[in-house]
Amino acid sequence: MTRTRAASPRGFVTIGRAVAIPVARVSVVVAIVTVVLIVAAAVATLSLGRLGVPVTDLPRALTGGADGAQAFVLGRLRGPRLVVAVGTGAALGLSGALFQTVTRNPLGSPDVIGLAAGAGAGAAVVALYLPGVLPVPVGALAGAAAAMALVYVSTGTGFRNPGRLIVAGIGVFSIATAFTQYVVYAVERDKAAVLTAYVNGSLAARSWSHAVTIWAVLLVVVPLVALIAGRLEIGEMGDELAGVLGAGPRSTWAWAVTLSIVLSAGAVSVAGPIAFIALTAPQIAKRVTGRPGPHLTPSALVGALLLVLADLAAQQSPLPVNLPVGIYTLALGGAYLGHLLIREWRKGRL
Amino acid sequence: MNTPAEPGGKGLNVREVTLSYGGAPIVREVSLDIPHRGFTMIIGPNGCGKSTLIKALARGLKPAGGRVLLHGRDLWTYRGKEAARHVALLPQTPVAPDGITVRDLVRRGRYPHHTLLRQWSPDDDTAIGFALDRTGLSDLADAQVNELSGGQRQRAWIAMVLAQQTNLLLLDEPTTFLDIAHQYELLELCRELHDEGKTIVAVLHDLNQAARFASHLVVMRRGQVVAEGPPAEVLTSGLVADVFGLACDIVPDPRTFTPMVVPHARFPASSSPGAA
Ligand SMILES: Nc1ncnc2c1ncn2[C@@H]1O[C@H](COP(=O)(O)OP(=O)(O)OP(=O)(O)O)[C@@H](O)[C@H]1O
Ligand SMILES: [Mg+2]
Repeated sequence: MTRTRAASPRGFVTIGRAVAIPVARVSVVVAIVTVVLIVAAAVATLSLGRLGVPVTDLPRALTGGADGAQAFVLGRLRGPRLVVAVGTGAALGLSGALFQTVTRNPLGSPDVIGLAAGAGAGAAVVALYLPGVLPVPVGALAGAAAAMALVYVSTGTGFRNPGRLIVAGIGVFSIATAFTQYVVYAVERDKAAVLTAYVNGSLAARSWSHAVTIWAVLLVVVPLVALIAGRLEIGEMGDELAGVLGAGPRSTWAWAVTLSIVLSAGAVSVAGPIAFIALTAPQIAKRVTGRPGPHLTPSALVGALLLVLADLAAQQSPLPVNLPVGIYTLALGGAYLGHLLIREWRKGRL
Repeated sequence: MNTPAEPGGKGLNVREVTLSYGGAPIVREVSLDIPHRGFTMIIGPNGCGKSTLIKALARGLKPAGGRVLLHGRDLWTYRGKEAARHVALLPQTPVAPDGITVRDLVRRGRYPHHTLLRQWSPDDDTAIGFALDRTGLSDLADAQVNELSGGQRQRAWIAMVLAQQTNLLLLDEPTTFLDIAHQYELLELCRELHDEGKTIVAVLHDLNQAARFASHLVVMRRGQVVAEGPPAEVLTSGLVADVFGLACDIVPDPRTFTPMVVPHARFPASSSPGAA
């Protein structure tokens, strides 16, 4: 009995009389287009290059008919990597949308303010100093929470003042990155690949266990995000009005920040602190939908698309060395961050 | 401090409430009974705490001391949405999210009537249509709020508050940005809603309008309520000189015979000869 009614630009997904959830039509269109693009990028990821499985073979290969070499490429090499990329990109996009909504500022993003770097440091400590003692995601979560506590305390005004947030975030980012570098050097000496994986993030050599980790995190967190989505929308109108309308701003906030930290930590524990997906995905989602609101679903989808595309570039790059995907997102996202900084500064919001 | 809840209490009662934004108290130990089904206007000079007080009447600000009672029960013991089905507030300077249309903004006023799974009900369309109609915005329903004129935007916010369909309506300077015809139109709308049984509280700067429309006038100065009662008794030239530092005569409004303020040609009060 699910149907959509569309009397206005806003339709409703209704199930009988008990459920009626408003959905803007443009959001549905954006979601469908993004999913199609993700599928296209995924097909390219699996079929391009010397080891690629030709597109014509894909349907058969994916339904269990892969022979030795193709089975290896799909089951070991590119398959898990792709599934991890989709899940991680979605987690980062959603994490960014949550944090940017709470701080009401695009710069209040987990990767800008040191959350991801903190998670990276925590992951490095657990993986390299204490291998087997604690699961890596626990280390990432502890690192992310510690980084956010440090930012929250050192701004003196919580997460609200964007200028202070960024300055404190840069400080925490630097501390966390330096700490990660120290840990990696101390344990691994000069393995450059290990270092970049923990500092910039990488999707090289991901296994199905990584895929299970990130998708399990999404499975738990996404329903919780859905529970607070309505309150986040009201929260956009300011704390006072949110309180007046009965959308208790404080608890909404605490939940959004907590879920954002868990998503970021989950992403970092499987792929390292990949930069700027969390910053850019919600901004792109906002512009293509052209609507108010926390843009949770489109941000997750755009995040997945961005990371799959970046990893496709990383795998098919004509460069002689295989750079990790984090370097690509860092380069592109860094340029976008510069643009945002200048814009917000001109508007006098820093 | 420990005033017992009044079981039969109706409407809003303020009991020795102290309000602050984390620093020094802005409103100090104010007690006030908002007349049930009355039309109350709050007047007072800039910065005296009118907005601060009215926010506290609708859970926009939690008291640092004292209690606000809604129907005899502490306002903060209600669940958020439940309180919001009783009391609506139009803040003085609300911010509309980027890209929101008038209809979507008005729809947000329905939030307290929704549940997690039922975020729409047939009543919504009626309430939203009524609100748009009463504020004259039906033709602008699909326009973006941030692209409207100041007065149209103000009316969009009023429509959002109306869509909430509460019995208590709190309005902080609802006539700002409105041209004079729209000011009176809005005040007449408030009076109609009042006649239909709603309790209205508004902060207003125009003393003549306040005296014309209010059934109860509350005068604030420096975080205190210094006078309250029917406009004809409260609004004297002595009070205006005292509270606003403005010398004036009070004459009867030729239309409604409510008090009307006629300022002297020069102020402050001390240099004017005729202050009573
Ligand atoms: N959000 C805030 N944070 C800190 N201080 C505030 C805040 N809002 C108001 N104040 C302070 O509280 C005092 C009373 O402000 P309030 O807005 O209640 O005045 P008002 O009577 O509504 O004035 P106006 O007529 O100008 O609207 C002022 O001194 C103001 O500086
Ligand atoms: Mg005010």
